[in-house]
Amino acid sequence: MFELARYEARRRLKGTLYLTVGLTLLAGMYIATFPSMAEDMNLDQFLDQMPEVFLELFNIATMNTIEGFLAAELYSIGWVLLLGLYTAYSAATVIADDIDRERMDILLSLPMSRARVLAEKFLALLVPIGVVNAVLPVVIYVGTVGIGYPIDPVNLAVVHLLAVPYLLACGGIGLVLSVLTSRSTIAQRGALVAIFGLFLFESLTTIAGHEWLGAIAPMRYFDATAVLVDGSYDWAGGAILLGGTVLLVGASVVYFRRRDIE
Amino acid sequence: MSVIDVSGLTKHYGEVRAVQGVDFTVEAGEVFGFLGPNGAGKTTTIRTMLGLLSPTAGQATVLGADSTDEPAMIAAKRSIGYLPANPAFDDSATGREILDLHASIKGADRRAELLDRFGVPLDRAIRAYSSGNRQKLGIVQAFMHDPELVIMDEPTSGLDPLMQQRFNEFVRAEREQGVTVFFSSHVLSEVRQVCDRVAILRDGELVTTESIESLLGRSGKFVHARIAGHVESDAFDGDAVHGFEQTLIEDRAEELLAVTDLQRGTDVVTDIQFTYTGDINDLLAELNAYSFVDLDVEEAPLEEVFIRFYGPDEPSERTPTGQYSETDLPGGDEDV
Repeated sequence: MFELARYEARRRLKGTLYLTVGLTLLAGMYIATFPSMAEDMNLDQFLDQMPEVFLELFNIATMNTIEGFLAAELYSIGWVLLLGLYTAYSAATVIADDIDRERMDILLSLPMSRARVLAEKFLALLVPIGVVNAVLPVVIYVGTVGIGYPIDPVNLAVVHLLAVPYLLACGGIGLVLSVLTSRSTIAQRGALVAIFGLFLFESLTTIAGHEWLGAIAPMRYFDATAVLVDGSYDWAGGAILLGGTVLLVGASVVYFRRRDIE
Repeated sequence: MSVIDVSGLTKHYGEVRAVQGVDFTVEAGEVFGFLGPNGAGKTTTIRTMLGLLSPTAGQATVLGADSTDEPAMIAAKRSIGYLPANPAFDDSATGREILDLHASIKGADRRAELLDRFGVPLDRAIRAYSSGNRQKLGIVQAFMHDPELVIMDEPTSGLDPLMQQRFNEFVRAEREQGVTVFFSSHVLSEVRQVCDRVAILRDGELVTTESIESLLGRSGKFVHARIAGHVESDAFDGDAVHGFEQTLIEDRAEELLAVTDLQRGTDVVTDIQFTYTGDINDLLAELNAYSFVDLDVEEAPLEEVFIRFYGPDEPSERTPTGQYSETDLPGGDEDV
């Protein structure tokens, strides 16, 4: 068992390294700029001038604390949007790229079911998701201690724990697109459009007073601001994201088992 | 029980009838050639047999497993090797990583022996492989778990002539070991060297299944000659001569004649070509009456065989240019 998952996981190591380094630099940049901003200006006054859509889009509560600042800057952009896009984009290649590049014939000549091929390849996405969410909280904690504005380590750990089901759900969306088409570029573009679209949709439906509509978006169930600023943990949201992931992967398996490889 | 049993196999893509009612069986220990021009439906048939495509109608079983029965196919695949038409692997992986993955899932009893025979640059990334090396890696993975049945789609494409020869020897040795080999090709000369029986597919339909001897007996020889002097247009009339063509060469005749020692006092050369299906001794007796500038007698190309036995087809669709190597088309620019 898991031979293919191990192989695919090794194939993702290099990308994971680049991703981790990139996010470390991004986090370091935000953390390094916080002291001067916090001392020289009242960012919340600046926020009052911003339109509501901006605050809703990036889930901004306050920028005067390191927690509020990181939630607004690093997590809403770096995690919810960028990592969500990255994961969905990666998942979009899981099946479609092998079919597109004619690798699927040899892969499926191995004595393993299509369900197992799909599941093990999807599992390998846990490498970038897991590594980023294990390394970055350490980097961020050390960074905030270093600038003299230490962040609560428990809240920080919980944000990264809850980020895992969120990212898996984004991957699930990419995976569905990956089995629906045999063209990986179409699946990848579709995944980017889907995540970005859901991100906008979730915020806009809230502003427009139709909050219930945004319930289909995974962004609804991952709120870094609530965890970091208020210390409130949405475990139910995490469970919903995991359930959604299972549904998306299950639907992908059902379709992949039935489809022709062409 | 047959190793491969295909009955009434049909695969349509929307309106396109890729494969229509194909029936054949392959027995244990046979080397079976699946012959047909490009686009005839060979790959579709193979991929349907392996469960990559689901049949529109009919069925295929390999090692007793129905191609649409996934659990049965998984069990069968432990004893099946498959080499697709363009074997493709992760570009960034090395050959070793690919073989390690395959070994961990299906076993690798014969890996070392196969790598000795087909040298593959194992530690290089696949991206840097030549098409020949990719093909060799494909061959190694197809045989490494010591399968009972090996299915190969155009296995010698991309191999240089020396490696093709080595591959043919290898297939013959495998047959001696009792391995059943099924492979497709569009080149008759390739199939004749190793196959016991052939099935011929054309436009998605099976036209015949027969032993290689009987097919070769019927396919005949392609004769291309340049004769010093004139040739009567009815000189080669007869039941055994097909598609006779002659061209008188006057402008370059002197040049052509100069390469021979002929002193016949002629200043023209006649270029003739035809396919001959009679006794080869009769052919030589007929040719004996002439003096030659050049003479080629080769196995008839597959297309010629098709046209003669199964009627002409729309040539533009059937024969994409550039699909046949030079030896397959002795007619050169006169291809059908």
